[in-house]
Amino acid sequence: MLKTTQLFGYHSTHAKLTEFAGYEMPLWYTTTMAEHMAVRNASGVFDVSHMGRFGVEGPNATDFLESLVPTAVKTQPPGKVFYTLLLNSNGGIIDDVIIEKLREDAYMVVVNAANTKADMDHMLAHSPEGLSVDDRTASTAMIAVQGPGAITSLQSLTDLDLGQLKRFRCAEARVAGGNALISRTGYTGEDGFEVTVYDATNEHPGGAVNVWEKLAETSTPCGLGARDSLRLEAGFPLHGADIDQTTNPFEADLAWVVAAGKRDFVGSDAMEALAAQPPSRIRRGLVLDSGIPRHGFEVIGDAGPIGVVTSGTFSPILRKGIALCYLAYSSSEPGSRVGVTIRGDNQPGAVTRPPFYEERSYGWKRQKGN
Amino acid sequence: MEIQGYQIPDDLMYTEEHEWAKQEGKTIRIGITDYAAKTLNDVVYVSAPKVSVTVEQSKPMGTVESIKAVSEVYAPLSGRVVETNGALDFHPELINKSPYVEGWLIVVEPLNLSTERKSLLDAKAYTAYLETLLQK
Repeated sequence: MLKTTQLFGYHSTHAKLTEFAGYEMPLWYTTTMAEHMAVRNASGVFDVSHMGRFGVEGPNATDFLESLVPTAVKTQPPGKVFYTLLLNSNGGIIDDVIIEKLREDAYMVVVNAANTKADMDHMLAHSPEGLSVDDRTASTAMIAVQGPGAITSLQSLTDLDLGQLKRFRCAEARVAGGNALISRTGYTGEDGFEVTVYDATNEHPGGAVNVWEKLAETSTPCGLGARDSLRLEAGFPLHGADIDQTTNPFEADLAWVVAAGKRDFVGSDAMEALAAQPPSRIRRGLVLDSGIPRHGFEVIGDAGPIGVVTSGTFSPILRKGIALCYLAYSSSEPGSRVGVTIRGDNQPGAVTRPPFYEERSYGWKRQKGN
Repeated sequence: MEIQGYQIPDDLMYTEEHEWAKQEGKTIRIGITDYAAKTLNDVVYVSAPKVSVTVEQSKPMGTVESIKAVSEVYAPLSGRVVETNGALDFHPELINKSPYVEGWLIVVEPLNLSTERKSLLDAKAYTAYLETLLQK
């Protein structure tokens, strides 16, 4: 029996549905192409309630998270949001997560739906006495509104001045008459917000349906198809495809997540050893001249195989096939010409470091007026 | 004919893999059905055999891809390719907009039409087949 989110009533009457991480979720409402372009050019709204949300509370919450992740936690001010990793003792990536620091003694950790159980087990295995780790996935909803028009779309629902909320900051606020946590973050490369709607269960969705329906009046509802093509175009890895417990942060091109000189966190010995030498392989982007690379396709260099595609799609912005892949470190120079084997044919392309779009034209750094 | 919004022209032959074939004098025009196109959702890339290539009935002859998925296209009939649809190189979305007219894939000279056509479905049989699929 598949799980559903608080917004399933809307999805079941408006979307083509698909199974994802044990949930019955919207794949698309109209077309993935139209939804993707709506986010790049205007704004889109996504139900991301399937993602795991853990409340971490207690007087030792900051110390606990400091000992758990490779990012500095103590120095983050309340209201800060940061991307980080849960590592195993070998330095493999258990999950990539977003942590919202509400207060020194209260955090919200947002995790990938497929890893909710593994992450909870990992956190409980390391949690000290007096700390509460509480799975709030079923008692809250989460709605992302993304794109250059997201701020206008969400502002009409809240008194919080969104213009004053910087990127990677969060604040609790009233949204459409209910209590919520607004974070200026997302998984599309665009400006936007992720809204955690409090007090929303499947039986009593409370304000979640209201927030969704109000946002859907001014933003295009988007399914998981567009969510995947948007994150790929922005170059964001997907756990389970591009990163997992067999990849470490250095080869995943996520070295920036590991705070220089930080010690005594889960995986810190492995990080110290790995940082001492270049990785054998590294995550890169590929843009093909023709054809669409997909998960598992081989990447070929001048002298033979040099890597493998971990996720690929058609980029609606470039109008070309793009991929994230792992390449032998010696063959990973951006600009290098390589090939991808697609059903027996060698399709030529170039190595890049994402994002795949021009940052002056698309994404949150875009120059206004474009 | 039509079922749940999927168009099924009366004058075509169909396969259970959702290709269509249309006899035009001595040649056969081939494409994918409205159901196949809508299931893919947004066709962004088409790979079809080139002129003078021989395709074999029920064997893969190319692929049609959406942002998310790849779908094999099987030749509904054996034949030699005499024409390809160059418009699809720049406008693959024609397969969604007009699967039976502008979104055709290839034209072949059939090699064994009289025998092979017996294994194809007419519009009525394909409609009945879709109905069973849609009930699942």
